[in-house]
Amino acid sequence: MKTFKIALPLALVTVVGVTGCTSNSAPSVASGSAAAAGSAISVSSTDTACNLSSTESTSGTLTFNVKNEGSQVTEFYLVASDGNRIVGEVENIGPALSRQLTVVAGPGEYIAQCKPGMSGDGLKMKFTVKAGASGSADANRVTLQEKAVANYQSYVAQEADALEAGTEKFAAAFAAGKTDEAKALYPSVRMHWERIEPVAESFGDLDPILDAREADLEAGQEFTGWHRAEKDLWVTDKAYTKLTTAERQQIADGLVTNTKELVKRAKEVKFTVDALSNGSKGLMDEVATGKVTGEEEAFSHTDMWDFAANVEGAKKAYEDLRPLLKGTNDELDMTLSSRFAALEKLLAGYKKGDGYVLYTELSQPQVQELSAAVDALSEPLSQLTSEVVK
Amino acid sequence: MTGNFLIGLREGLEATLVVVLLLAYLKKTNRSELNKRVWIGVAAAALVSLGFGALLTFGPRGLTFEAQEIIGGTLSIIAVGFVTWMVFWMAKAARGLGTELRAKVDGAAAAGTAGIIAVAALAVGREGLETALFLWAAARATGESWEPIVGAGLGLVTAAVLGVLIHKGILAIKLGPFFAWTGALLIVIAGGVLAYGIHDLQEGGIFPGLNSFAFDVTAIIPPASWYGVLLKGIFNFSPQTTWLQAIAWVAYVIPVVVLYFRRLKGSSAQPSDAVKSSQTTNQSAVAHAN
Repeated sequence: MKTFKIALPLALVTVVGVTGCTSNSAPSVASGSAAAAGSAISVSSTDTACNLSSTESTSGTLTFNVKNEGSQVTEFYLVASDGNRIVGEVENIGPALSRQLTVVAGPGEYIAQCKPGMSGDGLKMKFTVKAGASGSADANRVTLQEKAVANYQSYVAQEADALEAGTEKFAAAFAAGKTDEAKALYPSVRMHWERIEPVAESFGDLDPILDAREADLEAGQEFTGWHRAEKDLWVTDKAYTKLTTAERQQIADGLVTNTKELVKRAKEVKFTVDALSNGSKGLMDEVATGKVTGEEEAFSHTDMWDFAANVEGAKKAYEDLRPLLKGTNDELDMTLSSRFAALEKLLAGYKKGDGYVLYTELSQPQVQELSAAVDALSEPLSQLTSEVVK
Repeated sequence: MTGNFLIGLREGLEATLVVVLLLAYLKKTNRSELNKRVWIGVAAAALVSLGFGALLTFGPRGLTFEAQEIIGGTLSIIAVGFVTWMVFWMAKAARGLGTELRAKVDGAAAAGTAGIIAVAALAVGREGLETALFLWAAARATGESWEPIVGAGLGLVTAAVLGVLIHKGILAIKLGPFFAWTGALLIVIAGGVLAYGIHDLQEGGIFPGLNSFAFDVTAIIPPASWYGVLLKGIFNFSPQTTWLQAIAWVAYVIPVVVLYFRRLKGSSAQPSDAVKSSQTTNQSAVAHAN
């Protein structure tokens, strides 16, 4: 009993001591612009001023060497910009004393604050932490982030290659007037596009040429690309004049040339984890605004293919990011995985042969059900970025 | 100089008071031979704190801010548990003293002496790490200026002197009211320690509500003033108190004080003249303490 009572607090100190440790290796002092990760920021706290050698740094372990050059006891805080979370503080810095504050901070806006006399609001200034290069944040997390990005990058490359090959086939069939073959290829080739849509859309010059919908065309824009071909393949209205062979060839050539350029560029894009999570959310927004409304494929009504592909792309990004949630936000991870599963299950019900039912076959309640599942997923997905950039 | 003196004084008082009251109690119950245990606890806590502080200041690794707050906060709350236990143990011993001869130490309470080391260790240890970090910083500054370490040292010495004076003053109290007074004082101190521990855990991000203040009287009682330092050092009073701290303080102090005095009253089950007089003084002490 006696030993237990003594051992308890000591054990506590030891446990927290081991798990709550941070590196103490004397970092070099930075001056001038942004302090690199690992270098220390010196803070001079006087009775009337709070001077930082740098007001920005890169994310990871930050060290502040706080010197009290005033006559009153001072404190130094690093607070999240909303003011509600103390990232780190040192109290009890007597006059002429120096204390060190070591914190691990992710990218974002913070407030650095000296509090001479330990009362009042103290002296505040903005402090910016920029996304750090690898090696700055927790080394383990950086490894996980790099891995997630690498996995997703190879997925994009793979889908881009499939898109290129598929587009060539489709273009050939379309140009040659093989309507049935082209119609069969259309939705499945487009799935490769839809899976990596945020990447494809990031090229503002190519996206409108390849994927603009007739209804969305801006003044002076020519109607080309996938949807131009879609219209020509599916519309049978007497009022519509079919494209000539030459015109079809032109559309087909444009598709191939521009897709090749897009694929080349997609492979060169350097991703970051926030691009992955924002892209994942972006894909679900695409579903909500275009696919679940049946606007995307106005003539072929193959929106469900696009829908499924968007979800696949979003899920792939999420799955690559998953290791970053483990142990830091298991709850969000659970929510996301169960909502993805629910949406996939719902989608599976609309499978037909190799593809999906046409949008026109869906009933209003079915559309509402799909829409609700998309919304249920979008909401937690919007929290993903802040979790993975840590 | 003054700034560092006041920190030393405050931290010293925070660590000293429980120990002083514990020693006074042992003296009053003629068990001064147990003093050694108190000093063992104090020494162990001081050594561990200084060692950790030195390691964190000069060693290859520092402690994250959250970990520091969690250690301080958790130790504070454990300390409250032990001090509460001690207060009731004293009340029980007081009952024994009321019914039996003072010279005869009650056997029932003897088992509790095992906790003395823990109480002493926690009283010092909960503030130890923070104090040690401050002292090492002062020691490191000696190359530039001796003032900080001298100031801090004088503050600690003053705290010790005040501790001795409080100890003497408390010993001067007659045996009857002695228990009521020291017990009540300890409960109020423990309430402050609890509130302090909760604030640490709020800063460490374990509890919410860091910025919702029940009151903020920093303008009237600046933390750097000598009276702010004394209030903080003795009662852990924070002029900027969060709701959670205030609620915890009230929720702890009121029921414990009530239970404690009920326990003390119960000590006069077999009335004798001596006990009767002690009972009435107890009651006046209640009124006083509240």
